[in-house]
Amino acid sequence: MPMLDIKNLTLEIDTGQGMVKALDKVNLTVNSGEIRALVGESGSGKSLIVSAISGALPGQWRLTADRLSWKGESLLSMTAEERREVMRRDIAVVFQNPVTALDPSATLGEQLEEGIPDEFIEGRWFWQRKQHRKKIAVSTVHKVGIKYHKHYLSAYPHQVPTDICQKFMIAMALVSQPKLLIADDPTRGMETTTKTQILKLFTRLNQTKSLSILFVSHDLLAIASMSHTMTVLYAGQTVESGKMKHIRKRPLHPYTKALLDSAPSFRTNLPPKSTLPTLEGTIPPLQHMPIGCRLGPRCPRAQRDCVVTPAVRRIHDHTYNCHFPLHMEKL
Amino acid sequence: MTDVMQVKGLTFRHSDTKRWLKRPEIFKLGPIEMSVKRGETIAIIGENRAGKSLLAKLLVGALAADEGEILLNNELYNARVKTSSKEQSRTHDIRMIFQHSSEAMNPGIPVGRILDEPLRLNTRLSDVERKKVIEETLKKVGLLREHYYYYRHMLSDGQQQRVALARSIMLQPKVLVADEPFAALDPSIRSQTVNLILKLQQEMGLAFIFISHNLGIVRHIADKIVVMENGEIVESGKTETIFRWPQHELTKKLIMAYQSLVPQQTLR
Repeated sequence: MPMLDIKNLTLEIDTGQGMVKALDKVNLTVNSGEIRALVGESGSGKSLIVSAISGALPGQWRLTADRLSWKGESLLSMTAEERREVMRRDIAVVFQNPVTALDPSATLGEQLEEGIPDEFIEGRWFWQRKQHRKKIAVSTVHKVGIKYHKHYLSAYPHQVPTDICQKFMIAMALVSQPKLLIADDPTRGMETTTKTQILKLFTRLNQTKSLSILFVSHDLLAIASMSHTMTVLYAGQTVESGKMKHIRKRPLHPYTKALLDSAPSFRTNLPPKSTLPTLEGTIPPLQHMPIGCRLGPRCPRAQRDCVVTPAVRRIHDHTYNCHFPLHMEKL
Repeated sequence: MTDVMQVKGLTFRHSDTKRWLKRPEIFKLGPIEMSVKRGETIAIIGENRAGKSLLAKLLVGALAADEGEILLNNELYNARVKTSSKEQSRTHDIRMIFQHSSEAMNPGIPVGRILDEPLRLNTRLSDVERKKVIEETLKKVGLLREHYYYYRHMLSDGQQQRVALARSIMLQPKVLVADEPFAALDPSIRSQTVNLILKLQQEMGLAFIFISHNLGIVRHIADKIVVMENGEIVESGKTETIFRWPQHELTKKLIMAYQSLVPQQTLR
């Protein structure tokens, strides 16, 4: 039973010269207790999906979906109050760019304590409640690996380095004990040691509290080390989706293969200083999306059929959208 | 192979102006000893606030060091004195790519003028000659001649990175210093940039000093690694040696953290 179930999510943006599909029939499911990675380069619409789930999109953008449901309840037909309740209690989001996502006019401690739900706080009198609130805040901050809580809880966001801010965002997301954590590029700009720390924390939470995580990133190394399943996006289209193990071993879509090849860490037999295999060209801008399969102009295997959007194909629980996938060697 | 660049006892001290009741914040970098050979790639790794970016700035002379000297092509350049008679040749031989390369470009002038600036200020070429050089360089980094007239916002991330690279190789430098050149790039663009730098190194015999958090890329392209902590070099050596037999605590920590992320293909 999937917790979060998204089917054919389409997001249309009015650019002035007609509607542009920023997301084109995206499918995504997150099962309970699973870490799902959402991979894509910038401009592929990862963050748009996150905002679509959290309901943070501007009203003039048109969002349509066959299914956008949380535990069987459609998020799109909910009233605003119900939806906010879901977002408050069940789903927590770590937004990109922590320094701007935090409130610059309040200390980090105040912001963190504000997020603690009332029923977690014990005590009858206000001073007891205040103390307990503080205690929860400190223990959460320790959990994400911040040592000097006294210093940081009373600091303002601009006084704090970016990676500590990032950890605070994670702490603020975890403090309400959500069922699903959506982390939008949580390890960006972190050095390797801090990154492993955060990834370990996620893995541990996933195992002990069976927290589901939607891990949005383009850091393949981080993803490969922790996630169970992976969905690859390219320019607003889902490209491939399946178990991490299977995708790593045998990617079916040319884009997934290119993406995996681009990380030198995955290749043990790569001679130093050799040229890395890449796809030619760059990610198309939103105004000039190719028709059909959007990888078309960059794809080494593209043929005439690629101007038609490929349908979803499936091998067991491994789905892919390609006319000429890599396992069919007739060209 | 001869040393293109030698750094001896480079030191930098930073201290806040003392305010009432405030403890002055003291940061000391160095003394740094380093030597760079022709065509060599050196990676600087370390944790945040270890002084990596500061070292890069000192090397190119964007900041004046307090003590020590830098030898470029066996010409003494005293790092302590910012203006010297040898300034001119130094700016030719060592160039830098900044941390946020796209933001380090003037959005108000076209690419051609951005690239024209170093030439206009440092060489005596005429307008026509300069334009020719710019067009050649644009082609060298995989852009088109038409990009001369483009503005920053018209280019994609990868193309902006190429322009930044073009600007830094404009004066045919011998040493290129880059501060996190790959951090903000997407995987496919990143490998394109890596390939481009490798190609340019082969063609021009560039020495390349770069700062990176991405140890996968460091392992792939670097000949030597320098590990920094709290403004000091704690370990340096050949890439393979550092990755196989790290000696210092910090190096071990970094390498372990990296290895724990790398999928266990080697074991199977």
